Amino acid sequence: MTPLRVALLLLVICGVAAWQVTVIPQSLMEMTVGPTLAPAVIVGALGLVALLYGLNALRGREVDTSHAPGQEPLPGANKRLLTLLAGGGAFIALVIPLGFVIPSTVCGMCIARAFDAPFNGRSLLTCGAIAAVFWVVFARLLGVGLGPALPWGI
Amino acid sequence: MDALNALMGGFAVALQPTTLMWGFVGCFVGTLVGVLPGIGPALTIALLLPLTYHVPATSMFVMFAGIYYGAAYGGSTTSILLNTPGESASVVTALEGNRMARSGRAGQALATAAIGSFVAGTIGTLALTFIAPMVVEAALAFGPAEYFSLMVLSLVAVSAVLGNSVLRGLVALSVGLLLGMIGIDLQTGQPRFTFGRPELLDGIEVTVAAVGLFAVGEAAYLAWQGRESKGGEVMKMSGSLWLSKKDWARSWKAWLRGAMYGFPIGAMPAGGAELPTLLSYYTERKLSRHPEEFGHGAIEGVAGPEAANNAAAAGVLMPLLTLGIPTSATAAIMLSAFEGYGIQTGPQLFSQQGSLVWTLIASLYIGNVILLVLNLPLVGLWVKLLKIPPPWLYAGIIVISTAGVYGAGNSVFNVGLLFVFGLVGFVMRRFDFPAAPLIVGLILAPMAEQSMRQALTISQGDWFTFFTRPLSGSLMAISVLLLVLPSLLRVYRQRRDAAKGLG
Repeated sequence: MTPLRVALLLLVICGVAAWQVTVIPQSLMEMTVGPTLAPAVIVGALGLVALLYGLNALRGREVDTSHAPGQEPLPGANKRLLTLLAGGGAFIALVIPLGFVIPSTVCGMCIARAFDAPFNGRSLLTCGAIAAVFWVVFARLLGVGLGPALPWGI
Repeated sequence: MDALNALMGGFAVALQPTTLMWGFVGCFVGTLVGVLPGIGPALTIALLLPLTYHVPATSMFVMFAGIYYGAAYGGSTTSILLNTPGESASVVTALEGNRMARSGRAGQALATAAIGSFVAGTIGTLALTFIAPMVVEAALAFGPAEYFSLMVLSLVAVSAVLGNSVLRGLVALSVGLLLGMIGIDLQTGQPRFTFGRPELLDGIEVTVAAVGLFAVGEAAYLAWQGRESKGGEVMKMSGSLWLSKKDWARSWKAWLRGAMYGFPIGAMPAGGAELPTLLSYYTERKLSRHPEEFGHGAIEGVAGPEAANNAAAAGVLMPLLTLGIPTSATAAIMLSAFEGYGIQTGPQLFSQQGSLVWTLIASLYIGNVILLVLNLPLVGLWVKLLKIPPPWLYAGIIVISTAGVYGAGNSVFNVGLLFVFGLVGFVMRRFDFPAAPLIVGLILAPMAEQSMRQALTISQGDWFTFFTRPLSGSLMAISVLLLVLPSLLRVYRQRRDAAKGLG
C-alpha cells in the first residue's frame, strides 16, 4: 500500500458513490432541495480532495508513517494483521451457533497471537476468562443483550 | 443568579447516592482508560452506548462526564511513568513529566498534574456554569441558515486544525460526510447509498465507526508494526506525593495560566486540548525562572499543560451543551448518546432538559473532587495496569469492542462493519489521516443537510441566504479563512525565506 494507491482507492469509492447518487429514486414530493443534492455535493468534494491527494502523492509529498525511523514494521507484518482480522471473522462465523463466550475466546486468542502470544493453553484460559467476565458484566449485570454465553443456552 | 439557583438544583440531584455512584464509576473507568494506551474516552463512551437503553439519562451522562474528565486525569500517569501518553493531549506532559520521573521525582510530577487538573477543571466548570447560559441566550436567535453555517465552520475547523495536513483532514471529513448520508432520507423516505441492504437503511451506527476506527484500527496498526509486544519501560514510583513549598510556588501560577488557555480554546470549534497544552508549555518555558531545567524535568512544564488539558475538557462541553455542536470525537459520541435518549440538543436543551444539564454540570464539580481523591492514593494500581502484557490488553480491548457492538443490536453485520472500519482505521493511522473529522462528519452530515434544506425552504431556494444574513455570513467567512489561511501563510513564509536567501 502506498499513498498513491490510497488515492486510487478513494477515487474508486468516489466512482461507486457517484453511481449510487444516480440511482437515488426521485421524490414525488415538491420541495426546494431534493434527496440527491447533498450526496452529489459531498461526492464531488470527495472526488476533488482525492484527486488533490493523488497529485500530492505523485509528487512524493504524502506520508507513510511506517517509513519513519523506528516505525518500520517488523517481519511478518501482514501475517499478524491477517491473524487479527481472522479473530473478527471467527466471531462473526461462530456467535450465532455457539453463543458469546466460545467465539470471543477464539477471537481473543487470534488478537493475542497477532501480538506474538503463542496459541496455547495459557492463551485459551486467559481469553476464556476475559470473554466470560465480559459476558457476566455486560449481559448479566448491565442487561446488554449478548445472547447466551454457551451453545447449550446458559 | 438564575444559573446559581439552577446549579444548586443540579447539586441536589448529583449528590443523591445513585447518581453519585454513577459519577464515581465514570471517574474510575475514565482514569482507567486514560491510563491504558490504545483506549480513550471516545471509544469507552461509544462502547457504553448500548447501556443507554437500560439506565436513566441523568445517571448515564453523569457517568460519561466522569469518563471524559477521568481520561484527562489518567492520561498524565502514562505520560509521566511510561513516556507514552494515554491520549494525545498528554503528549506535552511527557516532555517534562517523564524527565522528572527519571530523576526520582515521579511523585511530585504526578501530584502537580493531579492538583493542577483539579484546579483547572474547577475553573473550567465555573466558566461553563456562568458563560453557557449567555451563549444559549445568544444562540436562541439562530435560524436554520446560522446553524448550517455554524456546522460548516465546525466541520472545516475540525478538518483544518486537527491533524498535520488540511488536505488529509478534508479527505477524512468528506468520507465521514459520505458515510453520514447512508440510509433513508428523513424528508422524502428515499434510500441512499444502501446497495439494497436492509441493514443500511438506518444508516451507519456511530458506535460501530468510532470503535472500529479507534480500537480495532489502532490494534491492527500496532499488531502490523509488531513493536508493541516489546513493551516500554515503566518508571518506578519515586519521590513523595506531597509537594514542597518550592514546588507549590512554581506550580500555582502555571495551573492558573494553563486554565486560562484551556477553557477558551477548548470551547472553540476544533480548539481541542492539544493546542492549549502546547501553548501552556511554551509560555511556562518562556516565563520560568529556571529555563535551564526545561528538557530535564521542570515542574512548571507538567503543571501548566496538565491544567490546560483539563480546562479544555470543560471548554469542549460548552458548544456541545449550548449549541449541540460537537468539536471533538468524544463530544460527537456524547451527542449521539443524547439522540439515543431522544433528547434534542441545541439551545433548547437548557430549557427542555434543564435538570439534566445542571446535574451534569454539578457532577463535573463533584467529579473533580472524586478524581483528586482517586488519582493520587491509587497511583500504585494505575502503575500495575501499565504492566499488563500487550497481547492480553489488546485481546481484552477487541473482545469488549466486539461485545459492545454486538450487544447494541445483536447484528453480525455490524460486527463485520466494525472490522471493516478497523481496516479503514489502520489505513488512516498508517497514512496519517486524522480520525476525528470522519466521526464528526458522520454525525453532523444529516443535521447539516436538515438545516440547509430548512434554510433554503424559508428563503425560497435563495442560496445567498447563507452569505447575506450577518451572523451566517460571518461564520461562512471564518470557515473560508480557516481553509485558505494555512496555504497563504505557507506561501508567504516560502517567499520570505526565498527573499532572505537572495538578500
